[in-house]
Amino acid sequence: MDDGPCNLPFHVSVSSGTPIYRQIVEQVQALVAGGQLAPGDMLPSVRQVAQALQVNPMTVSKAYSWLENEGLLERVRGRGMRVACGESSVIDRQAMLRPLLMQAVVHARQLGLTDVQITSQLQRILKEKHT
Amino acid sequence: MSTPPISMAGVMRTFGVHTVFKDLDFTLPAGSVVGLLGRNGSGKTTLLRCALGLLKLDAGRIDTLGEDPWRLSAKAKARIGYVPQTVSLYGWMRVRHLIQYHSAFYPHWNQALVDRLVRMWELPMNQRVKGMSVGQLQQLAIVLAMGHEPELLILDEPVAALDPAARRGFLQAIIDILDQPGHTVLFSTHITADVERVCDRVALLKDGRIELHEELDTLKDRIKRLVITGGALPEPFDVPGLLRIRRHANHADLTIDLKDPSILPMLRQRWEVNVEVVDLNLEDIFLELHDA
Repeated sequence: MDDGPCNLPFHVSVSSGTPIYRQIVEQVQALVAGGQLAPGDMLPSVRQVAQALQVNPMTVSKAYSWLENEGLLERVRGRGMRVACGESSVIDRQAMLRPLLMQAVVHARQLGLTDVQITSQLQRILKEKHT
Repeated sequence: MSTPPISMAGVMRTFGVHTVFKDLDFTLPAGSVVGLLGRNGSGKTTLLRCALGLLKLDAGRIDTLGEDPWRLSAKAKARIGYVPQTVSLYGWMRVRHLIQYHSAFYPHWNQALVDRLVRMWELPMNQRVKGMSVGQLQQLAIVLAMGHEPELLILDEPVAALDPAARRGFLQAIIDILDQPGHTVLFSTHITADVERVCDRVALLKDGRIELHEELDTLKDRIKRLVITGGALPEPFDVPGLLRIRRHANHADLTIDLKDPSILPMLRQRWEVNVEVVDLNLEDIFLELHDA
């Protein structure tokens, strides 16, 4: 087990209303989106992050598993977690969707719809297309 | 999942005319780190002492490592580590000798872990115990309780006497222990920030019962404060999960267990108000649940 320092600029606020695992998730997402973590880069081990942040290792595991389910990270047997190399990551695909949604939002605003009305419309469409 | 290290059913304990708890149920899941919260005098210490067989129950049943705690076998005791609120150790012994003496009781003893904790906390190995500060005594008690790597670690207000640096050191030691799988930790405290750092679950002792026992993340995800502006809510007002409501001149805020987030658009549309969702930390949640 390597005990090197955690080489990522993670920081958490334990007394925040946001669960710690979610703070880690958001920071990894930001690092990947910002290019500080490239596809194929290894993440520090659960142990390193837990030691560096002084939080329960289970919390870090939970964040990593969540990111793995999202497709942002992938598990490398015996080595830990790395940023997924797959065709395009969730972040990439979200970025692709963004201009389309932007257009729709601009349209909706022009029609005088409120934010709640816009989101409920989107939710309705998602539900319709669910099956 | 393996069997819970501690389970309690219908537990009651009184002191004279005072009932500390009654009909109390609680299960400590294996492998979890549970923070037992409660106000001063809520019975945290009594509950831990009952689980350890240091106090007898008036009614109900506790199972500690599969045994009745009142008749706990030596084998079971060797699997438990306990740090009481008030530490009493042999004052005339030197720290080094006390550790040696203590280790002799256990078939398994991790001297490397003990050495590391002693170094980290800079415990004076050659000093006599009676000359140590309260904080040092507590650290020593923690070292002694962890040396045999107990699978069940019970700590009663472990950080009460520690300065902030030692408190961090203690939390670090807990994190170290959690690194090895299969350990369960139950500790009582009123310092919610410590719980937020290392616990994965929170149990709240209130009015003689475990009022709430939940994953910390779930709590933070679900218990929210809603700030209502731009209109008035009817009186009386009730929605599922409502814990409390406070009305002010121009707004109202309510604390809610938001099991179902679809309540939010419903609130906005039905009462034509603005609803802002505010996250709460554990201290806020603790206070809200206590006043609810």
